[in-house]
Amino acid sequence: MTFTRFLERLLQLIPVLLGVSVIVFVMMALTPGDPVQIMIGDQIVTPEQEAQMRRDLGLDRPVVERFFVFLGNALQFDFGQSFYHRRPVAEVILERLPATIELTVVAMLIALFTAIPLGVLAAVRKNSIFDRIATVGGLLGVSLPGFWFGILLLMLFAVHLNLLPVAGRINYGISQGITPYTHFLLIDTLLNGRFDAFRNALAHIILPAITLGLPMTAILMRVTRTAMLEVLRADYVTFAQAKGLSRQRILWRHALKNALIPTVSVAAIETGSLLGGNMIIETVFGWPGLGRLVVESIFVRNYPLVQAAVLLYAVIYVMLNFFADILYTILNPRVKL
Amino acid sequence: MKVIHRTIVASAIALCMAPAVQAQELVVGFTRDADTLDPANHRNRETETIIRNIYDGILTRASDMQIHPEIAESYTQVSPTVYDFTIRSGITFHDGSSLTVEDVKFTLDRVILEGGMGDGQTSPRGSLLGPVESVEIVDDSTIRITLSEPWPLLPAMLPHQQIVSQAHVEEVGSAGMATQAMGAGPFRLADWRRGDSVILERFDDYYGGATGIPEAGPACVERVIFQVIPESASRVAALLSGDVHIINELPPHSMNQVENSPNAQVMTVNGTRSFFLAMNNEGDIFDDVRVRQAVAHAIDRDLIIDRILGGTATKIDGIMSPDAFGKNPDLPEYEFNPERSRELLAEAGYPDGISVTLDTEGALRDTAEAIASLMTNAGITTRVQVGEGTLLTQKWRTQGGEKEGDMYLTSWGNSTLDPFDIFVPTHRTNDRGNSAGYSNPELDALLDEAGAELDRERRGELYQQAEALVNAEVPYVYLWVPQDIYGVSTRLSNWSPSPDSRINLHRACLD
Repeated sequence: MTFTRFLERLLQLIPVLLGVSVIVFVMMALTPGDPVQIMIGDQIVTPEQEAQMRRDLGLDRPVVERFFVFLGNALQFDFGQSFYHRRPVAEVILERLPATIELTVVAMLIALFTAIPLGVLAAVRKNSIFDRIATVGGLLGVSLPGFWFGILLLMLFAVHLNLLPVAGRINYGISQGITPYTHFLLIDTLLNGRFDAFRNALAHIILPAITLGLPMTAILMRVTRTAMLEVLRADYVTFAQAKGLSRQRILWRHALKNALIPTVSVAAIETGSLLGGNMIIETVFGWPGLGRLVVESIFVRNYPLVQAAVLLYAVIYVMLNFFADILYTILNPRVKL
Repeated sequence: MKVIHRTIVASAIALCMAPAVQAQELVVGFTRDADTLDPANHRNRETETIIRNIYDGILTRASDMQIHPEIAESYTQVSPTVYDFTIRSGITFHDGSSLTVEDVKFTLDRVILEGGMGDGQTSPRGSLLGPVESVEIVDDSTIRITLSEPWPLLPAMLPHQQIVSQAHVEEVGSAGMATQAMGAGPFRLADWRRGDSVILERFDDYYGGATGIPEAGPACVERVIFQVIPESASRVAALLSGDVHIINELPPHSMNQVENSPNAQVMTVNGTRSFFLAMNNEGDIFDDVRVRQAVAHAIDRDLIIDRILGGTATKIDGIMSPDAFGKNPDLPEYEFNPERSRELLAEAGYPDGISVTLDTEGALRDTAEAIASLMTNAGITTRVQVGEGTLLTQKWRTQGGEKEGDMYLTSWGNSTLDPFDIFVPTHRTNDRGNSAGYSNPELDALLDEAGAELDRERRGELYQQAEALVNAEVPYVYLWVPQDIYGVSTRLSNWSPSPDSRINLHRACLD
């Protein structure tokens, strides 16, 4: 892929983001509920005090004007003040982002490293007991509601076996003295040479990551299995067998590379949907990430935060698809971007 | 010799095992993170719960909701609009500096003045101090608060304001205050991991807190962690596994699970929110008191409390909580009697019953459906209509504007437990929360008189009279005050929940 092609793809982001900001802004404006009223609750305030609060939040201006102010500021990466945190939205989002990225990446890795081998095995041993168990397991994985499965895991591993913690990213006591180079705890603890803290962070992330990654595991396994079955019927595989190549070599070197093509595109899309799954999983496991922040912000109509976060989601989603396309061309040189 | 040797070994083992090696750490599994740690810059109950372990106020409340001087030593009401507060000497902030009357004035000015936060920002908590007009320093130990009109709520509302250090605010600025908390409370901020936890450590030079509540001194536990766990099932799991020692908002359906666990128990306290059914007193049906009484007799509150609310609510016959100041304890009850409802309807000219619509928001749908079916059984055919919260308040709290609709199931919070904050807004003609559109000049006069009355006892009597008057007129059907339910580790002592949902951990201990 040439550099100009890359730039072109990057430029395509602009209309997408513009569209997303219009949609989010309109949707938030149309959602019934008034942030000032929610803040006041049942407290007695005079109309002047209420008007003052509205002025402070910039809600006294007409919607159209607010939109253009938002757009103008957003172009300069200024997303305004969070109504509730009373700090710049970008700051609030950035401090919650690493937790979400870390959780998403671990969930994705768990999904990839279990789904692909399982999918290959299921394809190789088609119609065996293993294949059937994997199929049923896959179906369950897709259909189990995440919050329910998460609570089930908590009851088992935290309450009954008392092996793993319920909430948070790391114990306070054990995390003392760790320099946050990356804000990804699994990496920071290792960079600091603190294996005790690494184990603690791992114990915290394992249940949420499994819960979050489960649907993705199930889907990827199904995709890998189907793709693998198709590839194994291909002429070049028969030829390789005839040539006397070892079965392992045929499977992992020749067949898998081609079977992975659909898996990669599905994985990219699924990683995007992990971002959505985060909102629920972060709530169940008290994970201090962005997903939960967005949910909380929607409930209290924290407009600036929701707008900025959704824009960020859109950027991540578009970028993921972009990288999937690049990976696709590497795996399958016949496809040009 | 052998004995001595054994004793030494035993002590050594005991020492190794003693929990003293580890900092004594009390963890609260809490529904929500603080929005900010600046006491002047939020409008959120949970945020205040956390902040009030770091900062102290001029006055505070004990868990029985009685008001006690905290940073103040005492206070007097000089006139209907002037209060004097004597500030204690010898109180230090976490940075070691002394708390002075200047800090108190600075704190309150920061809240009440327009642009008082600096950078053109005005505190969203100004309205919590209603008609406070000015704060003056009388002498080294006295602060005078002047009101623009009589406001009996001042002492009850002051616990919601926490005293900050002027020097610290000037140093870090209002933006810095959001994260760099520094107060004079029992715990100092160790770390705030946004969205995850707020970690507090014992302030060893704490002056001891409110007068009048026994056992002063520094806090019992060394460290407190507010661990954010929004999902209730996960909070319960954390309590049962021993990860946390207090959880708030324990769901009623998990009470048995907690009670059956050997290491946890349930604690409840009456909350401060009253639930009621507003009937459109301006409409054609409910302008007749007999029809309103028919509704009151149609609803079996005990059944709903038992079946839907898991037995965790207290029945009320007037708008106020049984714990509120000025509550009339002798109000007659409209007992559940559907036959009586039908008779009353017939007397009012509806021998075949009536048909009405009941508005409510999604969260109350189950309760609304139960009420509707009970009412339908008593001849009041009721259809539930679920709407969005703020649209419903616009529809019903019209403040004198025209009102459409028949009935509205709703609630009103009363964290001061003072009638001024709940009785007046919901019952006074055209007031802010008067969903029923009820208007009674006699009641208005009583409420106004009580609002300006300085003598506390007399004020209480006036509200009792007012409640008796309203009870006969039933502009609303008063339902219940739900209890706040906490799950608590059996290791915890010296702590009890408070109706204003404050979690004060100053005296709490763990064994």
